[in-house]
Amino acid sequence: MHSIWAVAANTIKQALRMKIAAVFIVLLIVLLPVMGVSMTGDGTLKGRLQTFVSYSLSLTNLLLCLLTIIVSIYTLTNDIKQKQIYTVITKPIRRFQLLLGKLLGVVLLNIALLVLFSAIIYTITVYTPKFYGASEADLDSMNNEFFTARAALTPPEVDVTAEVLDTYEKLKKTGQLPPEAGENEIKAELTRRKQLWKRAAVVGQWLVWEFNNVRVLDPNESLFIRYKYEVSINPPDMQVYSRWDVGDNRQYPPAYESFLRKDPIRTFRELEVPAYLIADDGYLAIRFLNVPLNRTTVIFPPDGLEVLYKADTFTANFVRVVLLILFRLVFLASLGTLAATFLSFPVAILFSLCIFFTATISGFCLESFDYLGEKLTWVYYYTVRPLILLLPQFDKFNPAQFLVPARIVPWSLLAKVAGLMICIKAFLLLLLALLIFKFREIAKIII
Amino acid sequence: MEHAVETFSLTKIFSDWWGRNKVYAVDDLNLQVRGNEIFGLLGPNGSGKTTTIKLLLGLLYPSKGKAVVLGGDGADPKISARIGFLPEESYLYRYLNARETLDFYGRLFGLPANVRTMRIEALLDMVGLKAVANRPVGTFSKGMARRIGLAQALINDPDLLILDEPTTGLDPIGTRQIKDLILELAKRGKTILLCSHLLADVEDVCDRIAILYGGKIHAEGQVRDLLLQTNKKQITTGAISDTTIERIKRLIKDEHADCVVTSPMDKLETFFIKAVADAQQQARPTSGAVSTTEISAFLAAEASQKNILDKLVSASVSRETPSEPTATEQVVGVDTSEPESDEQLLRKLTKPAEPARPGPVPPNRKITTEPVKPKAHEQDEDKKSILDQLIRQMPDSTSPKDNTEQTDKNQ
Repeated sequence: MHSIWAVAANTIKQALRMKIAAVFIVLLIVLLPVMGVSMTGDGTLKGRLQTFVSYSLSLTNLLLCLLTIIVSIYTLTNDIKQKQIYTVITKPIRRFQLLLGKLLGVVLLNIALLVLFSAIIYTITVYTPKFYGASEADLDSMNNEFFTARAALTPPEVDVTAEVLDTYEKLKKTGQLPPEAGENEIKAELTRRKQLWKRAAVVGQWLVWEFNNVRVLDPNESLFIRYKYEVSINPPDMQVYSRWDVGDNRQYPPAYESFLRKDPIRTFRELEVPAYLIADDGYLAIRFLNVPLNRTTVIFPPDGLEVLYKADTFTANFVRVVLLILFRLVFLASLGTLAATFLSFPVAILFSLCIFFTATISGFCLESFDYLGEKLTWVYYYTVRPLILLLPQFDKFNPAQFLVPARIVPWSLLAKVAGLMICIKAFLLLLLALLIFKFREIAKIII
Repeated sequence: MEHAVETFSLTKIFSDWWGRNKVYAVDDLNLQVRGNEIFGLLGPNGSGKTTTIKLLLGLLYPSKGKAVVLGGDGADPKISARIGFLPEESYLYRYLNARETLDFYGRLFGLPANVRTMRIEALLDMVGLKAVANRPVGTFSKGMARRIGLAQALINDPDLLILDEPTTGLDPIGTRQIKDLILELAKRGKTILLCSHLLADVEDVCDRIAILYGGKIHAEGQVRDLLLQTNKKQITTGAISDTTIERIKRLIKDEHADCVVTSPMDKLETFFIKAVADAQQQARPTSGAVSTTEISAFLAAEASQKNILDKLVSASVSRETPSEPTATEQVVGVDTSEPESDEQLLRKLTKPAEPARPGPVPPNRKITTEPVKPKAHEQDEDKKSILDQLIRQMPDSTSPKDNTEQTDKNQ
């Protein structure tokens, strides 16, 4: 263990004194406060903070990712190229200890830098409101929609299988099936249409959502209904009028409270409702009326409606988001270590960057390949897809995507990411790295 | 006798990416280095010396055959804890300073903090880099880097020291010091595998040598046996008159042998060291030379530490000549700030290597040394603390073993 620590300490010294880390550190220390002052967002205090947190965290995340890749590769390839490893590996240290020491050094450096920069971002975020005068309403919306951590309830997708089968049989009987399409294709198309209809309201129609087990910390708090409209015909002022009823509809007369709204289309809006509307057993019903003032059908996109409620504090959530970043840094450090065991510096950097960027857009990759894959079938399912699934999905756990809408990062998600990204994927990479490093000849010059 | 290093048909083949163009860097090598000897591995560039060393240390894997180092695999931590290795160039971390460098390697050996600090200071003293200990190694000259590389190889007090071209980049004094150091370490029971193509260095220190060419051994044996010209004799005398010379010549002619009479020349090395000593006596200012005197000072200190320990452990008779222990013990406490001792140290530095050793041919040098008077009082405390440290740092059985080997050798 002492040798692992010695190598780790040396790695940190190397990163700092060879000025690799220094460049990134100076850049961030200068940029973060500048961003804090210059970012204004949409002009409101909330918008300002959202923009700052989003950009500063994304920048820190990106730069630390690059730093991790570079340092973890540099420290090993440089030792091999400059041959300092000759004097190290001939000491009583096993090869896996050397690799683990390097990795530990990079991870410790990452933790230190992450703590430093997230502390800067946190301080700027928390102290910004004190320097800018804001109206009461502005402060309210900031406290309720930014300085908090909210859990989200999404309505489950409605099961339309029976209806689809029914319609399909009808069409088949009447001979209206399009001859060129297969059965599965027609059924998929029918499902899409049916589900769209479940989320659409023609003029004068109600849509109802029901939720169970809504648990709020404090009944005096508020609930937030977050929604977005799509429309069949654009209204002249791009606005949709609506009536929302929230409460318990299981009794007669229903214990509803009504809200009249006018919202722009195709943007997320939030409706604040008091939490006491939730029934004692955690039941909550929400219904939406497409009022006759509109002359268009209103459609909610698949992610178009959520109920948000306060579940934790901003600080705790911020810490968890930073942990999410740390997990990906650990993964990247393992990836860099692996690349360095068998590639030279520039090639290893290229290799790791390719993987990093692919992981950053892995969601898009999976989607597009899945689409193509319908025709490629098993070739795709047994070759490309497992490879992409092996990559971590960085875009799925983007730090800004949680903090900007004040969305809670539950511990369960954190545990899941840690398990997948570190315990499985990073561990596999490390295992491979140890194997390669154990059997390669140190003194041989590699390309 | 157990071999410190032994190879069995060790072969290393380098091939290109396709597995073609085979180069036999080491070819069916059977090498035996006995315990407690100075073994020289000679050969022209590219003859497989360094490859052999890399094979011994596990930096390369043999294509065929096997290498046994200290009775095991050189890459095994248990074995490598007893090996000191100086590669052909001192590959050091440029951003660490000299002290941090030694500290790093000390930590790799898992030395406890107090032992580490003690050894680092002692080694820095020995290689004469104490004054620049806080400078990054990247700013060192080649010779200075070499010195810190050597210190790095000695930090674990190794049983087997593998030195690859130890004297490259060093000035003649540094070279002399390394050679003295090698002899001193051998006296203390270490095995040294030396690899060089500087024949003078090898000739001065090695007990046995092997000459490699194309990865194969072409000659092997005792240096003296290999170099001795049995058909010639040399007589060295003091200054004698021409008439005496004529008489000797006549005597030799009676035996029908030829005879050449010349005055012996100083080796350039000896001359150089004398010149530097003179300059230091006159206290000429210089940037680095002052520190070089410390090498032998430390070496002697090391030896005397051993002596104290030896006496304590085995209560055996001192192996030194009567005048020697006083001289060496005197050096224990020598502070570099005392200018008057420098001259004495330098004289000691230029003194011929231990005459008791059977191996190397003693060079023809005629510089006498005077025994130095001991300064008993102030050193007592120093000795005590050094002793304490030594006892703490030596939990293993190396010291008694060293001792018996040394006494064996001296008998």
